[in-house]
Amino acid sequence: MATSGNKNMNAKLVLLGDVGAGKSSLVLRFVKGQFIEFQESTIGAAFFSQTVAVNDATVKFEIWDTAGQERYHSLAPMYYRGAAAAIIVYDITNQASFDRAKKWVQELQAQGNPNMVMALAGNKADLIDARKVAAEVIPLGTKLKYSSSNQDMSKIVVQDRKPEAQTYAEENGLFFMETSAKTALNVNDVFSEIAKRLPRLQPAQNPSGMVLMDRPAQTPATASCCS
Amino acid sequence: MLLLIGIFCSFIVSFLNNAPDSERDSAAVQEFLGNMETAFRAHSLWAGCSEEELESAGEGLEKYVMTKLFTRTFASLPEDVKVDEQLHEKIALIQQFVRPENLDIKPIFQNESSWLFAQKELQKINMYRAPRDKLVCILNCCKVINNLLTSVSAKENPPGADDFLPVLIYVTIKANPPQLHSNLLYIQRFRGQTRLVSEAAYFFTNILSAESFILNIDAQALSMDETEFETNMESARALLSGLSADNNVLGQSDQNAGPVPGADTSEAKLSFRSNRPPSAATQPNFSVASTETKPKNEDQYVKNQSSMEKIPSLSDLENRGASMLIKEDSINQVFQSFPYLYSQAGDLTVGDIEDLLNNYKRLVIKYVCLAKGSGIDNPSPSLPNNQVQTQHPDFEFNTESKAASAGEPIDEMQKDGPEDSSSVLSESLESDESKLKENEVVSSRVEEGS
Repeated sequence: MATSGNKNMNAKLVLLGDVGAGKSSLVLRFVKGQFIEFQESTIGAAFFSQTVAVNDATVKFEIWDTAGQERYHSLAPMYYRGAAAAIIVYDITNQASFDRAKKWVQELQAQGNPNMVMALAGNKADLIDARKVAAEVIPLGTKLKYSSSNQDMSKIVVQDRKPEAQTYAEENGLFFMETSAKTALNVNDVFSEIAKRLPRLQPAQNPSGMVLMDRPAQTPATASCCS
Repeated sequence: MLLLIGIFCSFIVSFLNNAPDSERDSAAVQEFLGNMETAFRAHSLWAGCSEEELESAGEGLEKYVMTKLFTRTFASLPEDVKVDEQLHEKIALIQQFVRPENLDIKPIFQNESSWLFAQKELQKINMYRAPRDKLVCILNCCKVINNLLTSVSAKENPPGADDFLPVLIYVTIKANPPQLHSNLLYIQRFRGQTRLVSEAAYFFTNILSAESFILNIDAQALSMDETEFETNMESARALLSGLSADNNVLGQSDQNAGPVPGADTSEAKLSFRSNRPPSAATQPNFSVASTETKPKNEDQYVKNQSSMEKIPSLSDLENRGASMLIKEDSINQVFQSFPYLYSQAGDLTVGDIEDLLNNYKRLVIKYVCLAKGSGIDNPSPSLPNNQVQTQHPDFEFNTESKAASAGEPIDEMQKDGPEDSSSVLSESLESDESKLKENEVVSSRVEEGS
């Protein structure tokens, strides 16, 4: 759960995704690529903590990796319990990993905390030639952004077209980025975007902040805070 | 300060007067520790202390309270003890046939011997009474696994939870520490909540999920078909019932003992001199029961003995144990609870001698009785002293007196637990062996190398 001091908060972030999607590469790229004091985790693989600066505050992420193999799927609730944020990672060259990612999203929506900030990360974006999961539905992609609050409209799109990543994310109130742990594309951006979207657990002095961040799970990503 | 002591005593007394109730007990301890810590942090006696000193005072308080309350709070509920038994029995079966590939451990990590260190760390969990110390055993186990994963992995493919959790499950199955369930519950309930956070919380969650996975293991969880799984379980049952079935149960029922991994010690006893010719009369180092020094283990000893009487001769017994031990993947772990076993003569101190001699005498008497009971006329249970000291693989002494001293509440306060997590976690793997030794020496409060 996110806990806050005045300007500094801790946030538990859980990484979900199929085995081989590159969860650990992604997080390692993130923790090692930061300029803010790189804090080596004491035990090593699978748990990391890293601080990012957002405006004039900092968010210290405690990053919990999870095992992606199907046989360990049922253990995941023990890990995402109490998490303030989740990154669901898939491999853009592997359609099955995208299908698995969608399962995670559904599960989190059904059982997780409604205030949890969720990000969908299409990893291995450097492997464009091997791409299997399209980032956007090309003909309607832009249009969809403007009409994303219209549920009926997006449903029609879904029925007509293969629901690809961007569309899927918008429909489900996630934000979406394609990342590459190899080239570092968007890696820091995913984390800082999450940091920005975390509900500030501050008391009532700042009620507007509360309203803006309320229930992101039901707000389409593109239309969320600033509209 | 007197006031604090008064509060402390009345807390202990009122706690012990109530019937065990895990939730209420946990809440009471957590609240008490929180309040006490707030109180002494505000107290003038502690003014000017650094955060570090206050922190270790808080740790000390937790350790002291929980050592006092250990008997009452550890494995005190029948339902927990039942799960302990189920888990231990299930693991004893599964460990006979589970392979790394059943758990999706990648081929590059399938070097089983390297996991022995991790198993050792986990098996130390019953040597300690304080929740923190038990937790540190788990964290050390995780640390060892992570070191190995990182050292084997290619740089472009860093290890993560996909690699870590399967190995932790595998290690847990191979280690099969007695009373694992109770240990985990105990940490969960009584480790100060402000201290079970962050990285410690993550790795603790991993062992909880390992336990949960193991409790639910079926054919599908191991990617086996039903019949293959059932056949494996059956043959594991047959194998175990031959020798150590009742010992397994006995080890389980031995709730508050220190390092007495039931099945393991009995196997060690039975197969100890497996590479010697099977002439019982010349086997002076054959320990009968490593637990006999404690009165409360008396009935266990009797049961052990009666189960032995069903078996024709010492050498038969020994051969049987030896063949089991050879099948075992991890012979070292069987012996890890005998602290003097791997000692060199130079490691021993003057203070050890009395202990060793007493144990030796008991051992001899037990051996002679056993041999007589099995119909051997002239057992010759003595070895020249120098041989005893140098041929350490032939040498076995019980660990129980150490466990007993480690269990003394007052001692516990002064005695160090396992290595402090922060220092241990930054330590390299190579030091694990020496750490093991250190802890044991410390626990008997004998100065090393004097």
